[in-house]
Amino acid sequence: MGYQIKEEKVFNSGHAACPGCSEALAIRYVVNTLGPDTIGVVPPSCIAIISGPQPLSSMRMPVYQTTLESSAASATGIARALKAKGNDHTKVVVMAGDGGTYDIGFQSLSSAAERNEDFIYVCLDNEGYMNTGAQKSSSTPHLAYTASTPAGKLTPKKNLAEIMVAHRIPYVATATTGYPDDLARKVAKAKEMKGLRFILVLAPCLDGWGLADNAGPKVSRLAVETGVFPLYEVENGERYTLNYGSKGTPVVQYLSLQKRYRHLSQAQVEELQAEANLNWQRLQGKLS
Amino acid sequence: MAEASKVVPSIWTTGWTDILNTGTWRSAIPVHQKRLAPCHVACPLNSEIPTWIKLAREQSYQEAWLALVADNPFPAITGRICHHPCEGGCNRGEYDGAVAVNALEQYLGDLALREGWSLPQPASELEQRVAVIGGGPAGLSCAYQLRRRGYQVTLLEARSKLGGVLREGIPQYRLPREILEGEIKRLLALGMEVRTNHPIEAKDLDSLEKEFFAVFLAVGAQRAKTLPQFPAVDARITDALHFLAKVSQGTVPSLGRQVVVIGGGSVAMDAAASARRLGSQVKVLALEDRESLPARADELAEALEEGVEVIAGVMVQSVVSSDEGIRLNCIGVSLAGTVPAAGTVPAGVLEPILLPGTEFIVLTGQVILAIGQEAELSGWDSVFTVGQSLVKVEANGATDRPGVFAGGDVTTMERYVSTAMGQGKKAALSMGEFLRGEFPATGGSGAEGPDPGAVVSYQEINTFYFPPTSRENKGNVAVEQRLRDFREIKIGFTSQQALTQAERCFSCGHCMECDNCFYFCPDMAVVKDASLPEHYHILDQYCKGCGSCVEECPRGAVVLKEETR
Ligand SMILES: Cc1cc2nc3c(=O)[nH]c(=O)nc-3n(C[C@H](O)[C@H](O)[C@H](O)COP(=O)(O)OP(=O)(O)OC[C@H]3O[C@@H](n4cnc5c(N)ncnc54)[C@H](O)[C@@H]3O)c2cc1C
Ligand SMILES: Cc1ncc(C[n+]2csc(CCOP(=O)(O)OP(=O)(O)O)c2C)c(N)n1
Ligand code: SF4
Ligand code: SF4
Ligand code: SF4
Ligand SMILES: [Mg+2]
Repeated sequence: MGYQIKEEKVFNSGHAACPGCSEALAIRYVVNTLGPDTIGVVPPSCIAIISGPQPLSSMRMPVYQTTLESSAASATGIARALKAKGNDHTKVVVMAGDGGTYDIGFQSLSSAAERNEDFIYVCLDNEGYMNTGAQKSSSTPHLAYTASTPAGKLTPKKNLAEIMVAHRIPYVATATTGYPDDLARKVAKAKEMKGLRFILVLAPCLDGWGLADNAGPKVSRLAVETGVFPLYEVENGERYTLNYGSKGTPVVQYLSLQKRYRHLSQAQVEELQAEANLNWQRLQGKLS
Repeated sequence: MAEASKVVPSIWTTGWTDILNTGTWRSAIPVHQKRLAPCHVACPLNSEIPTWIKLAREQSYQEAWLALVADNPFPAITGRICHHPCEGGCNRGEYDGAVAVNALEQYLGDLALREGWSLPQPASELEQRVAVIGGGPAGLSCAYQLRRRGYQVTLLEARSKLGGVLREGIPQYRLPREILEGEIKRLLALGMEVRTNHPIEAKDLDSLEKEFFAVFLAVGAQRAKTLPQFPAVDARITDALHFLAKVSQGTVPSLGRQVVVIGGGSVAMDAAASARRLGSQVKVLALEDRESLPARADELAEALEEGVEVIAGVMVQSVVSSDEGIRLNCIGVSLAGTVPAAGTVPAGVLEPILLPGTEFIVLTGQVILAIGQEAELSGWDSVFTVGQSLVKVEANGATDRPGVFAGGDVTTMERYVSTAMGQGKKAALSMGEFLRGEFPATGGSGAEGPDPGAVVSYQEINTFYFPPTSRENKGNVAVEQRLRDFREIKIGFTSQQALTQAERCFSCGHCMECDNCFYFCPDMAVVKDASLPEHYHILDQYCKGCGSCVEECPRGAVVLKEETR
C-alpha cells in the first residue's frame, strides 16, 4: 500500500453490517482517520444500522441521527454551534448513503456547499436504497437491476462528483474500498482543510449488487480499472488530480461479477462499455 | 400542580457494540497458514524456494544461501544444469512468466563460492557409521544429509575422483570444473571418509553390512547401450559416455573431420557439441522426428546454432567399415502410430516403420553412439530385487534388503541430477529413521505426496498486488566464442538482475506481513500478533467469516476453514 494508514480506534467490532460489507470497511477508514474528536451525522441508511442498535454504538464518538432530507443542514447547525462555542478542534462529518445524498438530501447539501459550510460530507455510495430492499436511486447505474427497476434502470447514473465540483468547494474526491490507503489518505487530507469537503466513496453492496461475501474489494478495483469509477481529487473546483484510472480492462469483467447485470445482452454490455469510454475520456480532458 | 416533566437523556448511548458476538453468524473461519508453494513441491529436492528467494530479495544473501543448502548442497551446480521443474510449476508462469528460480539458485551458489561460505557443521556427533556406494549426485546428496545429522559417513567410489556424471559426463562448457570442485570440496569439509578407486561388487555387501549400520547404493547407469548393426570393436566407433569422459579428462584423440552422433537425446547433444568444439563437422542421426526429439528444445537450439547438423527421423540399417572410413546405410523412418506388437517388442521400445525410397548413405570417420545408458547390476540381483535393469526401491528409497537403500539412476528412468539428489536426500531421511529404530515396515517417509489443497494454486494469488514485470533469462555467449573452447556458455545474473528477478516471486503460501488481511477486515477481527509464528490471529468473537482477508491475501497464506457448531 502506498500510503501508511494511521488509525485511531473509533470504530468497534460487533457492528451489524453484513459479512464483508464494504460500507463498514469505508466507515472504518473514515472515523478511524478522523479520530474521536469528531461528531458524526447519519441519516437513515445502512450506515445508521451499522452505527449501532440503540442504546449501543459502534463508534466511540458522538453520532447524531437525523432525517434523510437534512444531513447537510444538521451538520451545518452542529458546525456553527461548535464555532459559536469557540471550539475550533472538533470535526463534523456526515456519513450518508447515495439515496440520502443524490436524491432526498440533495437540496440541503447543495445549499450548504453554496455557503461553503465547515464540515466533511462522506457519501457512501452503494448505488441504491439498499437498507430498504434495494430500490433505485439516481446513483443507480444505467441498466442495473434493482427491486424497482426489474428490467434494468433506463437512465445513467447521476455524476454527483462533477455536480459538487461545480459548487467550487475546497475539496471533492472520489474513493473506493478496494484502495483503503487511498481512502484514508483522502480523509486525512480533508481533515486538515476548512469549508465543505466532499468525498464520494463507491461502496459495493454485496447483497444489492449480487456479489460473494469476499468480493467487495475486488469489484471495487474493477470499477476503477475499467474506467467506470476513476479515483480523483479536485481542489477549489479546478485543480484535478487523477489517483487511479482506467487500465483499459474491459467493462464486462466488472459487470460479470455482479448479479444485478446478469440480464444484459451483448449489445447492452457494449453500450455500457461505450459509456464508460466516453466518461473516462471526458475526465481525461479535465485533467490536462 | 407541578407538571411531571419528561426527562430526556442528553446521551442515549449506554455502551458499545463490541459486547456483541457477531462471530456466531459465521460458518467458516480464516486461518493463517504457511502453505506449500508449487515450485517447492515440483523440485525433486523440495527446496524451500519461497523462503530463500524472500531472503535474497531482502539482500540477506548468506541466510538465503543457508536456507537453500539445507536441501541442496550444490546450488552452483544445479543452478546451471538442473532441468528446473520448479519453474514449470511456478504460479507466476500463468501470469507473466515463471520466476527465474534456476538462475537465482546459480547466483546464490556462485556468490557462496566466491565468498567462501562453508556448510554448517553437524550440531552433534553420532556414533553410527553409514556407507554410500557411488560418489555421483545421488550418493553425495545422501552423504551430505547423513553427515549434517551427525552420522559417520564413508564414501566408496570406483573411480579416482568424486562427481559421477557431473565430472565424467556433463561437458565443462555447461558445468565448469572449478564450480564442481568447489562445491564437492566444501561438502567434504564436513568431514567424511572417502575411499576412491574402490569399486564395490555385490559380494562385498556382507562385509560392508558388518562394518556399517546402513548402506546407500548409488552407482548410476554407467553402461552405454549398443546397437547390433555397429561392429563391437572398431576404434572409430565409441559411445558418448566414453567419449565425454575422455573429453572431461582432456585425453580425447583426434576425431577427424567428420563425426556422426547416433541418438536424439540430451547426451547426444552434449557429444555433438563437444565434437564441434574439437573442430569436427558433426551430424546427429536421430530416430525421432524434429518435434519429438528427446533432447530439450533449448539444447537442440544451442547445438543447431553451433553448426551441428541434425537429421531427424532416420535409422542406420547397416554399417560397412573399411580403411576409407565408415559407411552408414540409412533410411527414413516414421514412428507415428507405431504400436509395439504384443509379445514381440518389450514395452517402451520404439518400433520404426521404414519408409522405402528414402535410403541414403553417410560416410564418416568417427561414430559416437548416444542411445541411452543402463545400470550395471550383474550380481546385485542376488542380494535384492532387481526389475527391468533397475534396483527396486520403495518410495522412501529402501530396497527389500533391510538396511540397504538405493537411489539415483540405478533406481529410476527419470535421469536428472536433481532427481538423483532428491532421492539421495529422501533415502538419507529414511536411513535416519532406520538407524533410530523408527522405521516403518513398508512405505515410510515420503511415500505419500502432499494433499492437493495444501499447495497454493494460481487462482489463490491476488494478482492485483503484483504488477506485471518481465522475466529475464541467463545470457548466452556468442556462438563463435563458444566454439573456440570449453568455457562456460551461459552468463549468470548480475546482482541487479538477481534482485529484480527475486522481487517477482509471489511467495506463494508464505506470509510477508503485508497486513492486507488486517486492513481489509470490515470487522477489525484480524489482530497483529508478533508473538505468533503466523504473525496474526483472528478474533473468534467478531469474525463473520466473509473471507475478505483470504481473498485479499496476495499469496494464499490465509485459508477459510469450515466450522460446524
Ligand atoms: C552426458 C550426460 C549429460 C547429462 N546432463 C544432465 C543435465 O544437464 N541435467 C540433468 O539434470 N541431468 C543430466 N544427466 C543425467 C544425470 O547426470 C544423472 O541422472 C545423474 O548423474 C545420476 O546420478 P547418480 O548419482 O545416480 O549416478 P552417477 O552420476 O552416474 O554416479 C554414479 C557414481 O557411482 C560410481 N560407481 C559406479 N559403479 C560403482 C561401483 N560398483 N562401486 C563404487 N562406485 C561405483 C561411479 O563412478 C559414479 O561416480 C546427464 C547424463 C549424462 C550421461
Ligand atoms: C423521507 C424519507 N423517505 C424514505 C425513508 C425510508 N428510508 C430509510 S433508509 C432509506 C434508504 C436510504 O438509501 P441510501 O441513502 O442509499 O442508504 P443505504 O440504505 O443504501 O445505505 C429509505 C428510503 C425515510 N427514512 N425518509
Ligand atoms: S511465485 Fe515464487 S513461491 Fe510461487 S511458485 Fe513461483 S517461485 Fe514458487
Ligand atoms: S475479513 Fe474479518 S470478518 Fe471477514 S473472514 Fe476475515 S477476519 Fe473474518
Ligand atoms: S494478507 Fe499479507 S499479512 Fe495477511 S496473511 Fe497474507 S501475506 Fe500475510
Ligand atoms: Mg445506498
